[in-house]
Amino acid sequence: MLTEILIKGFWAGFAAIGFAILFNVPQRTILPIWCIGAMGGLIKFTTMSFGISVVFASFFGAVAVGFVAIQMAHVKDSPPLIFSIPSVIPMIPGVFAYKFMLGMISLTNIENADAYLQTLVETVNNGAKMMFVLIALGTGVAIPMLLTRKESVKNSKFNKKKKALA
Amino acid sequence: METLKEDAQSVGNILLEIGALLMSSGANSNRIRVTMERIANGLGYKTELLITHRALMLTVLDKDQQYFFSRLKRTSPHGVNFRMVSGISHLSWNVLEQRWTVAQITTEINRLKALPHYPRLVVLGLVGLAGSAFCRIAGGSYIEMLVTFVATVIGLFVRQEAIRVKFNPYLCVYFASVTASFIAGLAEIYHIGAQPDKAFATSVLFLVPGVPLINSVTDLLEGNLQNGIIRAINGLIIAFSIAMGLFTVRMILHI
Repeated sequence: MLTEILIKGFWAGFAAIGFAILFNVPQRTILPIWCIGAMGGLIKFTTMSFGISVVFASFFGAVAVGFVAIQMAHVKDSPPLIFSIPSVIPMIPGVFAYKFMLGMISLTNIENADAYLQTLVETVNNGAKMMFVLIALGTGVAIPMLLTRKESVKNSKFNKKKKALA
Repeated sequence: METLKEDAQSVGNILLEIGALLMSSGANSNRIRVTMERIANGLGYKTELLITHRALMLTVLDKDQQYFFSRLKRTSPHGVNFRMVSGISHLSWNVLEQRWTVAQITTEINRLKALPHYPRLVVLGLVGLAGSAFCRIAGGSYIEMLVTFVATVIGLFVRQEAIRVKFNPYLCVYFASVTASFIAGLAEIYHIGAQPDKAFATSVLFLVPGVPLINSVTDLLEGNLQNGIIRAINGLIIAFSIAMGLFTVRMILHI
């Protein structure tokens, strides 16, 4: 179980790097993106192994990604979104989206009422999970940026420099 | 009174250029606003700004409101480019802290525009690896991961070629989705691997509209409701194009 979580986290890092390259990030940010992506994946899969729903697990992962991305932004001198967007993409609920879409398609040509109801229930369930995971990822990444906006380290550093000059 | 070194017109033009570059490179609305205001402050001007998805409207004013300049600029829907976002972020602080002139900004913008992208083979290989990573996360084994790798690489290649010959962007996604899922679907028909449906589901994940969807939520949370909704709809149409691609392949192959 533990090794399975570790392996998934390891691969989540590679999924993050693939998207980072696709978005043409600066070279110095690639290794941090792997680490943040793997960390987000680890947090999500660990939380899920404690029986917490996929929506909240994704939210915790995304919040962690958001906070580390802000710290890393100061270390590597690049805006936080460069780290956070590729790193949350591995958590996107692809399989739910796929099942939801399959369900919607099959709903268009089921005759039997019982089978229709069964498919409808599963489709709505998958669709709801997909939608709320997406919202959880978006808000999870944005919340740390909103919380630390007022005390942006870049700003305070700038102020210190000004004081030093004066 | 401090005399302004630059005239309002050249400041306005360079600001619009920077804003348009940020918009097409995948920055959110608030970042565009903050960056443009920071640069304008560094040059001694105030700005009033309207940001929409496909156009920017800007007025620059000097502090006494004697000189002003207004212009509207369309932004082009180029691909995401975080190297540009990072470079412009550095540039804006240089303008504020080191009093860069418009000439220096123009040189830096031209340098950033000329920066190379990653070599195509590197992009194809690593995005393919990301595809197999998705497959592994969904629970696939090495055989399915290999199928996803091949499907993703060829799908991305098709998308790049479609973008090069300037197809409609949603159509590019559709073509890529059809190609990738067709390859994964063939693997399902010939029973390659134990869970071929995992490969089929994850072969198109390299197309997910991550930047539009996450920027949409960020914009909505920061009160840029109009842009947030527009970005969300853009993301939804891309997701719909992916779904239509999968649907087409399922029709053809009768999976």
